[in-house]
Amino acid sequence: MSQITLTAKAVARSVDCRALLPEALQGKTVAEIANIKLAANLSVADVFEVSVDSASEAAVVNFKNTTAAHEYIGFGMTSGQINVAGDAGDFLGAQLQNGVLICTGNAGARAGDRMRRGMLLIEGNAGDYCGSDMMAGTLGVLGTTGAYLGYGMKRGTLLLAHTPAAQATWVDCGFHKLPFLNILYKSFKRLDSRFAQISSQRVQRWMGDMGGLGKAEILVIQS
Amino acid sequence: MVINGVEIDDTFAEAFNMRGTRILITAQNLRWAYNAANAMTGFATSVIGCGVEAGIERELSEEETPDGRPGLSVLMFAMGSKVLMQQLETRMGQCILTCPTAAAFAGIESEDMISLGKHLRFFGDGYQVSKQIPDANGKLKRYWRIPVMDGEFLTEETTGMVRAIGGGNFLVLGASQAQVLTACEAAIDAMRKLPNVIMPFPGGVVRSGSKVGSKYPKMFASTNDAFCPTLKGVVKSELDPRVESVMEIVVNGLTFEDIAVSMKAGIEAACGLGKDNGILRISAGNYGGKLGQHHFKLRPILSGEVSA
Repeated sequence: MSQITLTAKAVARSVDCRALLPEALQGKTVAEIANIKLAANLSVADVFEVSVDSASEAAVVNFKNTTAAHEYIGFGMTSGQINVAGDAGDFLGAQLQNGVLICTGNAGARAGDRMRRGMLLIEGNAGDYCGSDMMAGTLGVLGTTGAYLGYGMKRGTLLLAHTPAAQATWVDCGFHKLPFLNILYKSFKRLDSRFAQISSQRVQRWMGDMGGLGKAEILVIQS
Repeated sequence: MVINGVEIDDTFAEAFNMRGTRILITAQNLRWAYNAANAMTGFATSVIGCGVEAGIERELSEEETPDGRPGLSVLMFAMGSKVLMQQLETRMGQCILTCPTAAAFAGIESEDMISLGKHLRFFGDGYQVSKQIPDANGKLKRYWRIPVMDGEFLTEETTGMVRAIGGGNFLVLGASQAQVLTACEAAIDAMRKLPNVIMPFPGGVVRSGSKVGSKYPKMFASTNDAFCPTLKGVVKSELDPRVESVMEIVVNGLTFEDIAVSMKAGIEAACGLGKDNGILRISAGNYGGKLGQHHFKLRPILSGEVSA
């Protein structure tokens, strides 16, 4: 296994990062990763400094110094872990299939869009349409969330630290103490993240999106 | 062989291959974990009439349980995988699902994983929620959250099924019923401190040991007349005139070594009361060695020739 660190250079354009998944970069050298095309006229070397630690026990990709210009980070990831030290652009963790994605900064719109499995943990704020069309998995946000939260969300859990604005297609199910959260929080303890500090099992539960299947939930952590 | 004045028969306990599983039961506190576990392991003394043999293995601290609540570990054994799966599902549904605050988790890993809450989830009538969460080793485990009247019932989807052994045993022969029972209580107290075994009978002790067959054609088993003190002189008795009571401790375990170690601890504890307190002999139940796959020879076990 290898741990790949991609330190972002200053960019004046959006960067599509969907090719930079842990499973895709495993076993590749610095030169091989640097030559990966991110767009027709853009390679990894143009926008990232690359370093590889081949002695890692886990398949990890670390993004550093990223901004809202870095889009589609973790798009379709199936295994491993991505750590984003910085902000992320739109579609962070969209279509996530499995694995863990942690973002220490803010995320753009459509974070976790159509996500099917795994954990997407955003320590900052999330933009509009967070968790849109999500099918399953766990998406946590410690900051604020934008408009149209969980739009079209079918199943899965949005774990929030702040109460979102009321929405017509999400139904308030009241306040509860949920034992499963202890197991979830235990899994957070393994992570180098502010999520590891959460301990309250008491949540306000919302179900939705009632405009569709309506089997997803928003859990707002109560202190 | 004599320990503390107690004769150890040169015989063996005859035991059988079984299938076993372990379930971890947690609840808001130990009182309710015991309520759930006692229900689940109730009416589970012998496969002959109960389908499974089950018991509480030990208490679990909050650090040992998946959800950080106090709990108990339960071992369950059956003669085959099919009946074990059926009994586990039935007992999960009637004893754990129903018990306030109780939750159930896998207690053993195996290549053979059997349903714990996999089918029970349908009780949720469409409102059940699946969560896949990595454990301490990063391995994904699937849990089911089922809405119930006290909140949510939480259960892991599957638990492991392993090859195990049932029917390890020894007999305590003594001068009075009260003295034999006291010796058995001491034995059970010692055996319950050991992992991977349960003693499925009431309080861990059985007073109605059986032999194969009966004078009645429809009966497969009947009272072990050779060890019944009131039949001395009538049948070909195994008991000398001093013996007025015999009780048996049956032990099921995950491995041969687990059972041997627990038998040793139990016999030594029983012998601790000694001849002066009316404990006269230790023997074991077998069927001539032709039915069971495992033979636990008392004297080698007590000599420490089998260790875990």
